[in-house]
Amino acid sequence: MSEAESRAPNAMAGRIKGPQDFYGGLALMGIALFALWAARDLQGTSGFSFGPGTVPRMAGIMLLLMGAGVAASGFFTTGAPLQRFSIRGPLFVTLAILSFSVTIRPLGLVVSALASFFIAAMATPETNWKETIIVGVLLTAGCSLLFPYALGLPLELYPPILR
Amino acid sequence: MMMADVFSNLALGFGVAFTPINLLLCLIGALVGTLVGILPGLGTIATVAMLLPITFGLNPVGALIMLAGIYYGAQYGGSTTSILVNIPGEATSVVTTLDGFQMAKKGRAGPALAIAAVSSFFAGCVATVLIALLGAPLTKLALAFGAPEYFSLMVLGLIFAVVLAKGSVLKAIAMIVLGLLMSMVGADIETGASRMAFDIPELADGLGFATVAMGVFGFAEIIRNLDPDAQMDRNLVQQKISGLMPTRKDLKDSTPAILRGTVLGSLLGILPGGGAVIASFAAYTFEKKVSKHPERFGTGVIEGVAAPESANNAAAQTSFIPLLTLGIPPNAVMALMVGAMTIHGIVPGPQVMEKQPELVWGMIASMWLGNLMLLVINLPLVGIWVRLLRVPYRLLFPSIVIFCSIGIYSINNAPTDVILAGLFGLFGYWLIKHDFEPAPLLLGMVLGPLMEENLRRALLLSRGDWSVFLTRPIAAGLMFVAAALLVLALLPALRKKREEVFVES
Repeated sequence: MSEAESRAPNAMAGRIKGPQDFYGGLALMGIALFALWAARDLQGTSGFSFGPGTVPRMAGIMLLLMGAGVAASGFFTTGAPLQRFSIRGPLFVTLAILSFSVTIRPLGLVVSALASFFIAAMATPETNWKETIIVGVLLTAGCSLLFPYALGLPLELYPPILR
Repeated sequence: MMMADVFSNLALGFGVAFTPINLLLCLIGALVGTLVGILPGLGTIATVAMLLPITFGLNPVGALIMLAGIYYGAQYGGSTTSILVNIPGEATSVVTTLDGFQMAKKGRAGPALAIAAVSSFFAGCVATVLIALLGAPLTKLALAFGAPEYFSLMVLGLIFAVVLAKGSVLKAIAMIVLGLLMSMVGADIETGASRMAFDIPELADGLGFATVAMGVFGFAEIIRNLDPDAQMDRNLVQQKISGLMPTRKDLKDSTPAILRGTVLGSLLGILPGGGAVIASFAAYTFEKKVSKHPERFGTGVIEGVAAPESANNAAAQTSFIPLLTLGIPPNAVMALMVGAMTIHGIVPGPQVMEKQPELVWGMIASMWLGNLMLLVINLPLVGIWVRLLRVPYRLLFPSIVIFCSIGIYSINNAPTDVILAGLFGLFGYWLIKHDFEPAPLLLGMVLGPLMEENLRRALLLSRGDWSVFLTRPIAAGLMFVAAALLVLALLPALRKKREEVFVES
């Protein structure tokens, strides 16, 4: 994989030598604490037999320690700076996925796939709408043949009014 | 006696694989795998996850044959892009770019592709025989394993994965533990208690493995590729590819490299946690070490293509051994295979070998046939693959998003699965930005339930006595090796060596 990294300016993170690991470790600790909280009501070990909560708690504590370790190594040893997150790509790809999942049941594959295709295409400034529309229509047609017919999966193609 | 077993098993397998429908499925799998493997930004794991639903309508043997085909097809596609555009389609073919692309630049793309195909095929043949040879005895061994041994073996496998992965050992272990934690969402296997599911019905059965895989490998990779600074420079080799035939000198130079790569790859593939990625790196490094002209590596020497390509294919195939004999998936792709088998109601492990031999041996035989098909079909098709590479990413990525979404939706007909995959895509993007590897996470997620079950059972049988892992000889031996490996990996001297190996990329 080509690892193109953008080095974000980190003037504020003067004392933290490896911000990438420091914040990454902190986030893992947060996930661990959340999991420990979520597992708080589960029955633990009784006698020598494990309860449903034993192993999740063990894993949660391990993750907490690992996260602390990663954060500490990011604090004390020089490492990579934070990388820049872009907004446009993640936003439109996520919106496309969301729109697909919300519309697939009520509107059927044809409408849902076509709409999501166009939303996803907005994720890059390079999109040329003429070709995008052509490819979107072709892809939707292809998927409409492939999934329900060739593969026999139970997918509704059209909105209820047209069925 | 044993040899007779091997032959009768292989004969059974070829009997199954040679039916017209299975041959066709194998061919389709290999071709579709190659096609998707060539597309940039979709690795083997995402490819297999994405194409999982297309095998749902098939019978179990057919589905496994097709999935196996997709798997090695994707690997093959990955090496094609490595050589032609300097973009490794797969992590396993990263090192192939070093000499493969240089050869292509010198107008020798044809021989590079041919040697890559031939060495993959040779390695595949050896690995198939190896699976047939080791399958039965390892199955017997597996039947003697109790819960403590299984647990220890999985610990060893995870430690292997950590030691052999690139980057920080600590971060890799953290990812495994996170995966273990994620595997525990949903109903507890023994008591049925709902764990960390927050009464959300969609989480009651746990996080779907294919959903998470598609998120952190498929969607995350797409989002990352859309970053303005990640624009792939696609300096496609413009010369026409003429003459696929390698010269006699090419063959003479590459033969020993193929042999060494095959041996190394087969060994690393069997080890749990090993697998194709590390095998290709190791084979390239080793080849450079034993070469009389190490300085010529990186300028387009044929050995630099032959060694990693044979190693990654050998490892890709021998990694089926722990899956089929012990039921332990040694890497993320094998974990997906477990998912596929579960969907068809098969629990991989020694019982499958005993009770459904036609399934296992049919798949093994089909792998050999599939490799042969790839060798015969793909070389003439290189022209088509090259044209596919010219499809611009701006048209490719929305198509992949849609295709993945339909794929995830059709696993359970559940729209929430698609949303979950999208969320895991964002999480995977965050992981990439913080340099956390998603592969150990998936491995932890798959091994999680198996590990928990065996740990609980082991401690129940020993009445809560943890020393059971040290008093039973096999378990103690496995634990000892795991501990020794971890210590070695953390020693400064070896750590430096590890970094050197991975600096090659």
